[in-house]
Amino acid sequence: MPSLGLGRLLTRERVDPTARRPRGAGTSTFWIFSIGSATLLFMGWLLPWFVRPTSSGIGYSPMDVVSSAPTGIGTFLVYLLGIGMLVMVLSPFAELFYRARKRAVPERLDQVRVLIAVFGLVSTVVVFLLTRVIQEEQLFGPIDAFTITDSAVWLTMVGYILAATAYGLRGWVIRRPTTAFAALALPVGILLPLMFHQAPVFILWAAGSLGIYTLLALGLNVVVGFAGLLDLGYAAFFAIGAYTCGSLASPKHSIHLPLWVLIFLGAAVASMFGAVLGAPTLRLRGDYLAIVTLGFGEIIPDLATNNIGKLTGGPDGISSIDQPIVHLPFATINFGINKEWYYWSVLLVVIVVIVLLRNLEHSRVGRAWVALREDEVAAAATGINTTSTKLLAFAIGASVSGLAGAFYGSIVTIVSPDDFSFSVSVSILSIIVLGGIGNITGVIVGSFVLTFVIFWMLQYLNEWSATLGQTINVPSLGNIDYSQYTYMIYGVALILMMLLRPGGLIPSRARQIELTSGGEEESLAAVQGIA
Amino acid sequence: MALIEVESMVKRFGGLMAVNDVSFVIDTREIVSMIGPNGAGKTTAFNCVTGLYPMTSGAVRFDGHIITGQPPHRITRLGIARTFQNIRLFSFMTALDNVMVGAHWWMSARVWDSVVKSPRARADEKRVEARARDLLEQLGLTRYAGSYARELPYGLQRRLEIARALATQPRVLLLDEPAAGLNPQEKKELMALISRLRDEGLTIFLIEHDMRVVMEISDRIVVLDHGVKITEGKPAEVRSNPQVIEAYLGQGAAERMVDA
Amino acid sequence: MSDESPAAADGMLVDQRGLTSRSHRGAASSPAVVATSTVLRQLYSLVQRYFPQILVAGIALSILFVYTTGGLTLMGEQIKNALVLGAIYALVAIGYTMVYGIIELINFAHGDVFALSSFYALIIATSFGGFVNSLATGSGIGLLVALVILFVTTMAAAGFTGMAIERVAYRRLRDAPRLAPLITAIGVSFLLEGFMLVKFGADNVPTKNDLWITGTALTLGKVSIAWTDLFVFATAVALMFTLGAFVRITTLGKAMRATAQDRNASLLCGINVNRTISATFFIGSALAAAGGIVYSLNYHSIQWSLGYRLGIIAFTAAVLGGIGNIVGAGIGGFVIGIIYVFGGQLAGGEWSDSLIFAILVIILTFRPTGLFGVDVTTRA
Ligand SMILES: Nc1ncnc2c1ncn2[C@@H]1O[C@H](COP(=O)(O)OP(=O)(O)OP(=O)(O)O)[C@@H](O)[C@H]1O
Ligand SMILES: [Mg+2]
Repeated sequence: MPSLGLGRLLTRERVDPTARRPRGAGTSTFWIFSIGSATLLFMGWLLPWFVRPTSSGIGYSPMDVVSSAPTGIGTFLVYLLGIGMLVMVLSPFAELFYRARKRAVPERLDQVRVLIAVFGLVSTVVVFLLTRVIQEEQLFGPIDAFTITDSAVWLTMVGYILAATAYGLRGWVIRRPTTAFAALALPVGILLPLMFHQAPVFILWAAGSLGIYTLLALGLNVVVGFAGLLDLGYAAFFAIGAYTCGSLASPKHSIHLPLWVLIFLGAAVASMFGAVLGAPTLRLRGDYLAIVTLGFGEIIPDLATNNIGKLTGGPDGISSIDQPIVHLPFATINFGINKEWYYWSVLLVVIVVIVLLRNLEHSRVGRAWVALREDEVAAAATGINTTSTKLLAFAIGASVSGLAGAFYGSIVTIVSPDDFSFSVSVSILSIIVLGGIGNITGVIVGSFVLTFVIFWMLQYLNEWSATLGQTINVPSLGNIDYSQYTYMIYGVALILMMLLRPGGLIPSRARQIELTSGGEEESLAAVQGIA
Repeated sequence: MALIEVESMVKRFGGLMAVNDVSFVIDTREIVSMIGPNGAGKTTAFNCVTGLYPMTSGAVRFDGHIITGQPPHRITRLGIARTFQNIRLFSFMTALDNVMVGAHWWMSARVWDSVVKSPRARADEKRVEARARDLLEQLGLTRYAGSYARELPYGLQRRLEIARALATQPRVLLLDEPAAGLNPQEKKELMALISRLRDEGLTIFLIEHDMRVVMEISDRIVVLDHGVKITEGKPAEVRSNPQVIEAYLGQGAAERMVDA
Repeated sequence: MSDESPAAADGMLVDQRGLTSRSHRGAASSPAVVATSTVLRQLYSLVQRYFPQILVAGIALSILFVYTTGGLTLMGEQIKNALVLGAIYALVAIGYTMVYGIIELINFAHGDVFALSSFYALIIATSFGGFVNSLATGSGIGLLVALVILFVTTMAAAGFTGMAIERVAYRRLRDAPRLAPLITAIGVSFLLEGFMLVKFGADNVPTKNDLWITGTALTLGKVSIAWTDLFVFATAVALMFTLGAFVRITTLGKAMRATAQDRNASLLCGINVNRTISATFFIGSALAAAGGIVYSLNYHSIQWSLGYRLGIIAFTAAVLGGIGNIVGAGIGGFVIGIIYVFGGQLAGGEWSDSLIFAILVIILTFRPTGLFGVDVTTRA
C-alpha cells in the first residue's frame, strides 16, 4: 500500500463506510462538489483554450482579462471569482481529509463557505451591473446576443453562481445530491451549444462522443452495475443499432425511415439480440458470461465485415446515412447543418433514459437486480426468477445501446465494422469503472472525463503541441501522434481504478464494498451442479 | 393432511450418499424437526426440497403436486420459504429492502410500471413497504429498517432472514438451525416465535442441534444419520430410541445439553 | 394477486392470503410457450450430452469435405497447417489454463504477453549488432546456439513480465470477487497493446528471424513439409511434455497442483502460495513466449494487436480442453487448429475467426467443463 496522502485518504474511505448510515451524508456529495465545481471552472477558464487554442478563441479568454489588467473593478472582481472558485474546489478535499483523520470538521469552514457564496453572488451581480447595465467597463467588448455565452469570463461567472449556490446550500446538497447534481449539470448541458456556437466541432463532439457514450455507459451500467453481469461485447448491440439505422435510412437499400422511428427500432432489434444471446448463457458464472459476450462482440462486427447477406456493405460499411430535416411552421431545421440539434436531441434522450433507469433502479426490478448480484442462491430461494431477471437487465442494457447506435449512425452518417471493435466495449467499460460502477451520477461524470480526454483532447493535442513546439523551438513536439495513447489510457484507468478505488470516482457505496471485500459469490448454476 | 411428502429421496455427490432413500411426511400446521449429527445430510435434504440441488432420485410432493425438478424460485412461489444455516442475507441492502425482496414475486407492478413509475407501481411499492415495515416491527427490527443487513447483530440477522422468508407468503417455513449462535434469551424468543407462526397457520420444518429447543417445540422429529433416516416419531419416542442414542446422542450428548 | 385486497391483517406475521393452495400461481405460461421451452430444453440437454460426438463428427465431416473437393494434397497440406497453428495455440492455451487453474482468473493479458514476446524475440534476434542473427544464418551449430540464446532469453524475459503483471495487478485482488481481477486483466491487456502500439507502430513489423530455418525437410506425396513446420511442432510437443513431467514430479509442480485444489489448505501445509502463483505465471508466460518465437520463425511478420484475437482463440482451446487441465489445453490447441484451418477452408477464410468465437460461445454455453474437464459437483 503506497503511503501517499491521497492513497491513504481513499483507503480510509474504503474500509470504513459500513460504520455509517447508508442514507444521508455520503462521501459522494463531496465528489459532486469537487467535480461539479471543477468542471465549471474548467469550462470557464480552460476549455476555451482547448476548443480553439489561438487567442481569437471563443470570445474573450481569461488571458485577455489578464492582459488588460488591472484596468478596473470588473477585472479585479473576476480574479477574485477565480480564486473563490479554486477555494470551492479544494475545500471539499480538505473536509474529506478531516473526516479521514476522524477529526470534527471545524465550524469555521461552514462560515467561510457561506461567506464565499455570498461574496460570489454579490460580486457577480456587481460585474453584471457594471458591464451590462451601466456599461462602465469595456471588459467584454461589444455586447450582442452571444457575448455572454461567448465569453470565458462570463462562463466563469455563470459557473460560479451555480457552484456557489450549491456550495452555500450545502445542507440541501447533501440531502439531495442527485437533484443538486442535476441542477448543476442541466443548465450547463442545455446551454453548451450556445457557449460554443463558434466551434461546431466541439458541438459535434458533445453530441457524437459525449452524448452517445453517455447513453452507452448508462446502458452498460444496467448490466454491469445493477445486475452485476460483466458484458464485454456490449459494442455488438451498439453495432446492431447503428446498422439498423444505416440500413433503414440510407440509399443502400433505398429505405428512408425517419430517425425518430429508427431509434426505437434500433433499441428493439438490439434488445431482441440481447435476449437471444442471453437466454441460454445467463446462467453461466460471471467470468464465463464475460467471455461469451466477448465472443459475441467479436462475431457481430465480423459478420458485418464479411457482408453477410449482402446487407452490411462489407468493410466499408454503409455510408450517406440520412440526417433528419425537420420542417416547422417558422423554420426548417437541418440536422446535418445545425449539429446542435443533434446535441439537444441526444441530451433529451439521455435525460429521459436517466429518469427511466433511475425509476427502474428504485423499483422492485432494481431491488431484484441488487439481490441477484449479491447472492444469487438466496435470491432464487426468495422467489426471484434469476434467469428472467438477468435477461431483463441484458435486454434493457442492449436496447439503450441500440438506441445510441441509431443516433450514432445518423450523426456520423457512415457506419463501418471498425467502429464497433472490442476497444469500444472496453472504453464503455472504462467509463463506468472510472465513474463508479452502479452509480448513474458517476457514469455521467466518467463519460464526460473519458470522452473529453480520448475524443477531444487526444485529437487536438497534436495541434497544440505543434504550436507549442514552434514557440519553444522544439519542432519534434509536432510529430507525436497522441491518439496512439488511447489504449494505454484505458488500460491504466482500468488497472488503477480497480486497484485503488474499485468503486470509481463517485462510488455507489454498496457496490464499492462488494467489489473490495465481498467474498466469492457462487452462481446458482454452480450450486446446482449444472455449470 | 399431508402438505409435504418426501418419497425415497436420494442425493449423491460423486461417491458420497449425502441423502440415502429418505422418506417422510409433514402435515399442515405441524412443527417437524430434523436432527442428526454433523454431516448427516440434513441441509442437503433441505436443498433438495427447495430445488437448490437436483435430486439423484426420489420425489417431493407439495400439497399433492410433484415439485421435483422445479426451479427454486418456482418452489418458493408455491409456498415453501426457507432460511439458511450460514445466514444468506443481501448484505448491502437495508433490512427493509431485504424483506421487500421477499415480496418481489407477488408484487403486481409490471416492468413497464416500474420504468415509468406509474401510479400502480407507486401504490404497489407503498403497500409492500407497509407490509415489510409491519413484519420488521413485529419481529422487533424496526430500529434497523434502514441499516445494511450486515450491520445487524448476529441474532437479529437470523430474525431478519425469517422476516424475508415470511414476506414471500409461505405455507411452509424451512428453518436451517435457527437457534445456532443465539443466547438463551434469544432462543426462548425464537421458540415463542415458532409457536406463534404455527398458530397463525404456518407449517414449520426445521433443522436444529439444540436438543432443548427441538424437544420442546416439535410435534414430530425425523432423525438422520449418514444420509439414512434412522427413525421418526414424537419427541419422547425419539429420546428413548436406543438407535438414536447410539448414533447421535451418544457422541456428544453431554456437551450439547450443556450448550443449551 | 393484483387485486387491492387488504394486506395481512395488522399484527399477523403470516400473510393469510399465502396459506391458500396455489399449485399454478406464478406459473402463468401458456401451453405453447411451455411446449416450445421444453423442446428447447431437451435440445439443450441433448447437445450438452453429446457435445464431444457432435464436435468430432463436425470436424470429420469438414475434413472429408476438404478431401472430396481438394483431394489428398490439399487435405495433407491443410493438416500440416492445422498442426503448426495448433501447436502455437496449444503453447498459449497452457498459460491460460494454468493461471485459471490456480487463481480462477481469465488472464486476459496472456495473449498480449504472447505478442510482446514475439517482439522480445525480434529485439534479441537483432541485438548485439546483429550478432545473434549472423550467428544463426552462419552455420548449423551457430543456428543451434542462436536458437538456444533466443529461446532462453525471450522466455525468461516473458516469464518475468508475467510475474510482474501478477505481482502488480492481480495479487492485491486475489480475494476480491472474480470480476475485479478480470477487469484489471483487461486493463493490463490494453496497457500492453498500447505499449506495443506506441513502441513498434501500427503496421506489420517483419520479423528478422524468419529466414533462420529454411528448406524442405521431407515430402509426403505431394505435401512438402518445411523444417520450420517440423521445428514448430516438435518444440511445442517437447515443451508440453517437459511441463507435464515438471508438474508431476517436482516439488514446485506438486505445490502448484495443491494450490490449485485448495489455496488455504496449501497455505496451512506450509506451501508458499505467493511464490507458487508467481512461478505459475512465469511458466505460463514463458510457454507463450515460446509460442511467440515459433510464430515469428514461421509467419514472417508480427503486429501490436496480434495477441488479442490469437489470445481468444487460444483461450477457446483451453476451454475446449477443460479449463485447468494442462493436457486438455494441449489437445484443445490442436483441435482448435484443425477447426480453424478446415472450418476456414469450408466456409471461407474470413469466417475462421468467427467460427472459433462461435465455438467459444457454444462450449461455454453447453459444456463449460470442456471435453476433459472435471464436473463441478465432484470437485466442490
Ligand atoms: N455441494 C456439495 N458437494 C459435495 N458434497 C457435499 C455438498 N454439500 C454437502 N456435501 C456433503 O454431504 C454431506 C452432508 O452434508 P450436509 O450439509 O447436508 O450435512 P448437515 O446434516 O447439514 O450437517 P451440519 O449439521 O453440519 O449442518 C457432508 O458430508 C457434506 O460434505
Ligand atoms: Mg447443515
